[in-house]
Amino acid sequence: MEGEFHADMGPQYEGEVIRKEDLYIEFGGPKVAHKFELATVKSPDEIENEKVEIIGPDLDDLQPYDEEKGGGSYPIAVLVDVAGGELDKDAEAIIERRIHMFTNMIEGWYHMNQRQDVWMRINKDCYKKGFTSLRELGEIYILLYTSEMSIIESIQVTIITDEKKIEELLPHALEVYAARDERARTLNDEDVDTFYGCVLCQSFAPTHISIITPNRIANCGAINWFDGRAAAKIDPDGPIFAIPKGELIDAIKGEYSGANAIEAEKSLGTYDRVYLYSAFEHPHTSCGCFEAIVYYIPEADAFGVVNRDFKGETVVGETFSHMAGETSGGKQIEGRLGTGLEQLRSPKFIQADGGLARIVWMPKDIKERVKDALEAKGLYDKIATEEDVKNVDELLEFLEKVGHPWIKGEVELPT
Amino acid sequence: MTKTIAMAGKGGVGKTTVAALIVKLLSQKGLVLAVDADPSTNLNQALGLPLDDSQTVGRIREKMTEDVSRGTLSPTIVKQEYLFGKIVESLAESKGFDLIAMGRPEGPGCYCASNRFLRTSLDKLVQDHEYDYIVMDCEAGLEHISRQTTRDIDVLLIMSDPTIRGITAAARMKKLIEELRSNVGKTGLIVNRVKGELSPEIKRAIEESGLEVLALIPEEPDMSDLEMKGKPVTDLPQESPLQSKVKEIVESLSL
Repeated sequence: MEGEFHADMGPQYEGEVIRKEDLYIEFGGPKVAHKFELATVKSPDEIENEKVEIIGPDLDDLQPYDEEKGGGSYPIAVLVDVAGGELDKDAEAIIERRIHMFTNMIEGWYHMNQRQDVWMRINKDCYKKGFTSLRELGEIYILLYTSEMSIIESIQVTIITDEKKIEELLPHALEVYAARDERARTLNDEDVDTFYGCVLCQSFAPTHISIITPNRIANCGAINWFDGRAAAKIDPDGPIFAIPKGELIDAIKGEYSGANAIEAEKSLGTYDRVYLYSAFEHPHTSCGCFEAIVYYIPEADAFGVVNRDFKGETVVGETFSHMAGETSGGKQIEGRLGTGLEQLRSPKFIQADGGLARIVWMPKDIKERVKDALEAKGLYDKIATEEDVKNVDELLEFLEKVGHPWIKGEVELPT
Repeated sequence: MTKTIAMAGKGGVGKTTVAALIVKLLSQKGLVLAVDADPSTNLNQALGLPLDDSQTVGRIREKMTEDVSRGTLSPTIVKQEYLFGKIVESLAESKGFDLIAMGRPEGPGCYCASNRFLRTSLDKLVQDHEYDYIVMDCEAGLEHISRQTTRDIDVLLIMSDPTIRGITAAARMKKLIEELRSNVGKTGLIVNRVKGELSPEIKRAIEESGLEVLALIPEEPDMSDLEMKGKPVTDLPQESPLQSKVKEIVESLSL
């Protein structure tokens, strides 16, 4: 097939960078408001196989970047429509991500980011060699998709540079991305066989291992299950690695034999059990890098949450840093849980203890950040902040007054 | 092999000015990554580049962390890749060099993981762009070096003015660097704004510090004019005392 195109292709070009000095034209990127790429699985009759359509001005119609005058940045949308007997909606994200790799495999082309952040560059040399039409880019995509993904039975590519048209289609793309994210957020621990472990913090907390599952982000809030999967794929023997989930021992407290085994190994035998969904008995260990601490308030028999950036005293009179000193270091401490803030959104967040409905205090800033999740459970007005109460006595009064569901006994613990 | 030159020194000694001139000089020999690692100075201005404050590496990382907790960052976009993309977007590109601004090193958290993402992203940036040189304008506390967000250093240039306080600060930085785990190839002292000869007291202080003097730079008469007009220091005439001294320094280091 080679020779048909005005550019060479291969994995050797993947690391190639195009700096402004070599730039012919760029599509998308930080200077352009409207841009996206989208793969859609369709039925075969909706696809005209191997068709490439260009909507809007082509490469040789556009003013290139000029060192003196600037310019040369244009909107773009790349639509890849595919059909195949074994293709389903879940394949769309994977197919779409290939646009990144395939574009980078072309000599003289550069691709960064994804979705509505996409950024492509073509260098002067490539244009000079005759790569003057986006049609060629579309044809290369089709060649690479069909030769590398046999699951694709038919494919058509549409490349749009007409800004109005892109602006018109962008909301639909955003909806598709949001729906995909929603599906990812509803991925549960039951749906996978592999968890991930992270021991990046072991130099500070030698007995700590973060266990990362679809329902549990790492304590630092920086590594979720998808990040863990990507990291372990690149470097399986690195500090982030796969853990076979093993047998489910307790579905409510979140005890898995695979997690227990790795806990014993990485804590050097200090702990041999861990509950992923509880702050009691065998809670997850806490490193030193957790974004927040979930802490037990005995007077209310409930929990408060405090994050690292909150400088004042919590409702129990202790500051974050004081509490962190006791919680950190890779220990399991009953009633004290180092956590990522996103964990508050997890359906399994201390589910054995009553979940989000057992939280009675958190800093105002955090309450605002997770407002949507609290409102969804009718808890937004029930949780006190530093603006509402100063101590535990005031907290108890507040909870009575607003009728917090936990205090009113409306929360049933799962059995 | 990429060569890394780090500039350190207390505020007001002309560190950023010299860093900018080194960037310009080296950019004639190869591709340079200029790193503004001192939030209190403006390497971009000295180089004549605009820079958006929201585009510092520190700010990018903070925003990512916040977006995760707000549930607005897609769970499936790998954070390492996302961070790298945003860092590449933040590069200010110019003739022969790119500029990256580190911003504030870090909030109160320790964020092992996001620091690691940062390190990996910066390494990948240097590797993909095949920079021949990295010139870092560091803040006095050498935070980015101590946090190990930066790579090993081939040459550390510590700047001072001809004052005891300046030399004392320089000596402290030398000690700090030695205590860190970073590998530093060569360390040298540059004394700026020297009028005539150094006083015997200053000479003694330098001797006690154990710092090797690489160069004495005389007062630059054209500098205050440039500063008043807000022009980049790279507009200095080629034959100006400062330009020619910096040229000498770069040549003596055989970079």
